[in-house]
Amino acid sequence: MKSTLKAYAGYGDHLTTLLFLVLLAGGAVMVRSATFGTKFAPLAERQTMWCFVAVVAYLLATLVPYEVWIEYSYILYGLCIVVLLGVMVFGHSVAGSRSWFVLGPVGFQPSELAKVAAALAGAGYVKDLSHKVIGVKEFFILTGIVALPMLLTLFQPDFGTATTFLPMILAAFYLSRMGLSKILKWAALAAVLGSVVFVLGWFTFFKPYQKERVLTFLNPTANTRGAGYQVHQARIAVGSGELAGKGLYSGTQNRLNFLPAPHTDFIFGVICEETGFIGAVALLAVYFTLLGRFLGTLLVARDMEGRFLVLCAFSVILYHIFINVGMVIGLVPTTGIPLPFLSYGGSSLVGLTLFVGLAANVRAHRFVR
Amino acid sequence: MNLPLDSGLPAKTAFLKVGLWTVFLLFALRLFYLQVLHGDYYRTLSENNYTRTIVLRSPRGMLLDRNGKVLCRNRVSFSLVLDAARGGSIDDTISAMRRILDFSMDRAQVDAALRRSPVASLAVLARDVPPSWLQKIEAHQQELNMLRIEMELRRDYPYGLYAGHALGYVGLLSPEDAERMKIKESDPFIEVGKSGVEKTANVRLMGVNGRRTAQVNSLGREIEDPKLRLPGVGIQEDPVPGKPLNLNLDMDLQTVLENAFAGETGSAVFMNPNTGEILAWVSEPEFNPNLFSGTVSASAWKDLVDDPTRPLLNRPIQGAYPPGSTFKPFVALVGLQEGLLSASTMFTCGGVWDYGGHPFHCWSKGHGTIDLITAIQNSCNIYFYHAGDRIGIERLDKWGRLFGLGQKTGVDLPGETSGVLGSPEWKAKHGLGPWYPGETLPVSIGQGYLTVTPLQLLSFYSTLATGGTRYRPRLISGPPEVLSTVDVSPEALGVVKEGLARVVSSGTGKGCQIPGVEVCAKTGTAQVVQASSGKNTYSLDKAERDHAWIAGFAPRSNPTVAFVVMVEHGGHGGDVGARIAKAGLEFLFLGKKPGEVIGPPKPPPVSPPPMAEPEIPTDLPPEVPPPLPEQPTPEGIPQGTILDQNGPAGVRP
Repeated sequence: MKSTLKAYAGYGDHLTTLLFLVLLAGGAVMVRSATFGTKFAPLAERQTMWCFVAVVAYLLATLVPYEVWIEYSYILYGLCIVVLLGVMVFGHSVAGSRSWFVLGPVGFQPSELAKVAAALAGAGYVKDLSHKVIGVKEFFILTGIVALPMLLTLFQPDFGTATTFLPMILAAFYLSRMGLSKILKWAALAAVLGSVVFVLGWFTFFKPYQKERVLTFLNPTANTRGAGYQVHQARIAVGSGELAGKGLYSGTQNRLNFLPAPHTDFIFGVICEETGFIGAVALLAVYFTLLGRFLGTLLVARDMEGRFLVLCAFSVILYHIFINVGMVIGLVPTTGIPLPFLSYGGSSLVGLTLFVGLAANVRAHRFVR
Repeated sequence: MNLPLDSGLPAKTAFLKVGLWTVFLLFALRLFYLQVLHGDYYRTLSENNYTRTIVLRSPRGMLLDRNGKVLCRNRVSFSLVLDAARGGSIDDTISAMRRILDFSMDRAQVDAALRRSPVASLAVLARDVPPSWLQKIEAHQQELNMLRIEMELRRDYPYGLYAGHALGYVGLLSPEDAERMKIKESDPFIEVGKSGVEKTANVRLMGVNGRRTAQVNSLGREIEDPKLRLPGVGIQEDPVPGKPLNLNLDMDLQTVLENAFAGETGSAVFMNPNTGEILAWVSEPEFNPNLFSGTVSASAWKDLVDDPTRPLLNRPIQGAYPPGSTFKPFVALVGLQEGLLSASTMFTCGGVWDYGGHPFHCWSKGHGTIDLITAIQNSCNIYFYHAGDRIGIERLDKWGRLFGLGQKTGVDLPGETSGVLGSPEWKAKHGLGPWYPGETLPVSIGQGYLTVTPLQLLSFYSTLATGGTRYRPRLISGPPEVLSTVDVSPEALGVVKEGLARVVSSGTGKGCQIPGVEVCAKTGTAQVVQASSGKNTYSLDKAERDHAWIAGFAPRSNPTVAFVVMVEHGGHGGDVGARIAKAGLEFLFLGKKPGEVIGPPKPPPVSPPPMAEPEIPTDLPPEVPPPLPEQPTPEGIPQGTILDQNGPAGVRP
């Protein structure tokens, strides 16, 4: 144990740890500010508690060598699938979807953990490949591993969370034996197909609220009273922060309830309003430095399963940030996806912490054979 | 490295890195655009979000009678307002309103309310709503986002029906009013006088609203957060309350007269002849101005308009009637002034006079040969036919003008009509052909081409009382205003006064004798239909019966009051008219109330009459207040509280 710590002190991914802690502290502060003086104020304490849980999760994820995690990955994965099935039957229903387990005062969304379990299971599958190359067959098997919990989540139904599994399929695709140019060709094809599906979907299976979100996104000022209200108010929050912000606890859009869901989906709006351009860009810099660090780890990882884990962490976290920040600043339509480490919510925090911890783990163990 | 690197990995990683930082740059540029380049724009939007201008409503001035009795005051009321500028759909709000508040309105009514409002996007949907709606709306903030309850001050007339036509009523400012009166206000609750002194003295009564910039949250609810002391919040402009208005009315006299009418239709006005101060103003049937202080239901309005007794008519100035025999003293005075008659001028009445082949009748079978004073006393038609024939229409017209007949009196009430003073000139002007001498005869006894308003006739008798000085009749307290002075000789005046005194002492006006006071008066019976001629008026249907008049002044020397009473289809002026006049004179000179029943026989409603549900404003003035549930209001002011002073300096919604 002592030697492990000593080794970690030498090879550990301290930059990632530092950035992670900065984000964790930032989240605790911003959730407090976003709930101050409202009925959600007690959530600030709870978020602080979750931060300690996250620190423990991080230590576990980064100190236990990832090959050990991978060794138990199938068991974890199997457990998660069982729990996901269980939640569909016994779960707590919120806004029409059964995605929560509630134990006393604590609620938990198993699909957040299932994401990590899927990544570990995928890594386990890659490890067991004798040739260590992801071909067509391997890609489809990896896709299946990710798709199973994703579909279970989709049937809860929780469309937003289900989409957060998709980046891992892209990660598998990206790590396949295909070269970059070929991948880009596939990406172009996918973009065309996606557009076709979108257009067809518009006239068939899209729900009215989904269409409205897209329309609102395309023309946010058309209806600032109705569908565009949230988008409009979020934009006012962001813009009115100006260069230096209105100060913590002093964001009027936040404090006077103009900003929707300020402590969850729109917490980036609070950050923009209260800490201004400086704070918002600083936060983005922390995020992107962390993600950049993951890309560095991708290059130095000692094996394919490590790379898969890191790229899963990278893609999942980037997806969250891109969708959430993009939504708040009006670059993507409204979706209910949290901002990693900042939005209130224990499941997402712990789940994404495990990804970061595992990515740091891969880096820390890059030399060990 | 233990494993050979995937040959593609560095390129793939590099591509991701470029992509990653491109996203960062994109986000940072977007933030720069929103926060730095357009930050001040969004700051303004955010300030507009959290500040709201709250109107501090200025209370309308109270109305007081000459003894300081409160005729109109303000009470606190809650109203339902729709703010179309807030998020939500009107149709959804209407259905939520039906479900949650159990209050039904259709889309057309809401649109009409929006059109009627002087403030774009704000509409008053209902007034005098139960205070419990406040909690209901708060509890269903999501569905009822467009609605809010505002507190306003409403007019309250404690005497109810009494003097309703003099006081008038108020109504919400319409966009047309706002334009005409040049009122630029952002408050949908501005009330303006629509009739009576409420209209005449509107500017003085209105006051000026104040305003305050409040900090509100997204629900529009005002919040006080010391941690969020924001720029532009808390600026206050105090409201200027409307000034109270003292009226010349004596509400005790008014009450006596209203009661004396006992359901009859007509007018009564009592006035101080020496100043023009109007002491009582009765127009029966009265309407209750409480009904109007806002929004009458369409049906209540229709009932008023369709009522065959026309309660909305302000009879003393809007009713023009033939004056009948009350006109005879005027004819006598003109004859005396022009030297065509004297106290000793005699004519013979045989009950009928054949004038150019047409028989003209007296109401009596024959008064014999009588002098002028006796003719006045007995109201002999034949005498005055002769007198009128001798005087001629031109002289009657000339003197009529001098006394203000056929003209507006200039009383401080809106809607006065002028009546008709017939003359060759008037006939020609209206294309009615030449004036025939035979047409002068009916005019001489107050019929024919002649109608007056009760107030005009009162003005004439008042001028007799003062000896020629005409004062403008005034309901609003202030210095007397002399309209003109008619040059009448004391001798002529003495003769007419003697005639009038005899009417009361031993003629047709015995009904208004007051012990110890010499009353001068003349009764009149104006024919409504030609058919009634020569028949006993009481044998006719009520609608065909003659109008009963009595006009006069008292005491004979140094008169302190002039009066007119006119009862539509009342029969002889000497009966019902004299009875009503006597009630007023007894009160004034003897301090006696009829039958000494001093309590108010018709208890005036102090609080508004109960209604089944809040009323929806209509296009017409409107409104009947709903029930007043007995629960404390959120503001702690009990519902229906009467503000005996001019109300609080400002009412905060």
